Amino acid sequence: MSDDARGWRIALVPDTLINAPARASPASPDVLSVLEQNGYGVLQLPPPGEHRRLLAVIADQVAEYAHHGYAVVALAPLLRRRGVTLPPRHTIRPDLDAAAEGQRLAAFLTGYDLPLEEQRRWRV
Amino acid sequence: MDQNAPRKVALIANCLLNQNAKVCQGAHYRGVVSPVVEALRRRGYLLQQLPCPELAFAGVRRWWAVYEQYDTPAYRDHCRRLAQAIAPQIDEYLRRGDEVILIGLDGSPSTGVRFTSSAPDWGGRPNRPQDDWQIVPRRGIWIEELEAELARRGLPPLPATGWALDMGRFDEAGSRRDLEEFLDGREIAAGSHGENPADP
Repeated sequence: MSDDARGWRIALVPDTLINAPARASPASPDVLSVLEQNGYGVLQLPPPGEHRRLLAVIADQVAEYAHHGYAVVALAPLLRRRGVTLPPRHTIRPDLDAAAEGQRLAAFLTGYDLPLEEQRRWRV
Repeated sequence: MDQNAPRKVALIANCLLNQNAKVCQGAHYRGVVSPVVEALRRRGYLLQQLPCPELAFAGVRRWWAVYEQYDTPAYRDHCRRLAQAIAPQIDEYLRRGDEVILIGLDGSPSTGVRFTSSAPDWGGRPNRPQDDWQIVPRRGIWIEELEAELARRGLPPLPATGWALDMGRFDEAGSRRDLEEFLDGREIAAGSHGENPADP
């Protein structure tokens, strides 16, 4: 798959970290930019409200990725029923310095991936 | 910012935020398609990622395909179910007065907006790069079903364009120009050039 650029890493991200409310806070890092710079794809969780069907669709997609060699970060309780180990979670703290929070997020993203054995199994 | 002020919302194809959704050998970026995201955010659009119908239907290790191969009752039913899952969110945006646009993926059998890929005689084992297909001016199956669902709910057609990622030979500069012309054309038409409703 040498001509394929995919990064094999995906972040499950709440809408508030992608769109205006969080970005409007000067203390929040630009999460989408940090994810992009670290080569992560994004699965966006819907904004607050009743989105059960949409969440089920997203959870199915996470399960599909998790079963085929992709590293997934963040948390969604719906995954328990789909036989997927809950992914690592990182919490953005808007009460701290935005630059430091951005670096902390980048360090978390850079440092995470599947074990090498799993990577070799899937990422041919 | 007034919480009730109309916003600009871009519904974007799943793979524009996540290239891991692409078929094997189809990813042009590691994750986020940054030129699309930058162009939209710079103009104040909120992003709403659409589900990926192909991934949910055929899995992440699926082969590439053309419109005719996905044009089956089962796949259309699947797309309708996805459309019913996202339509309430779109309905909510429109009812609160938001400007909603759709950015698909031109050339895609599912998410094409201006163009999709066609080869009526394709079948069996793929044979890249010998396989040949045509780009035809038509919606992909997912976009057709999404628009049909919105129409069933009495919602107006959404202004739409596609990022030309699946057109055979990908031209990033040309695609960026196309997208920016579409977005700027809307701003000029709305007389809101220079305004950014998402700014605090």
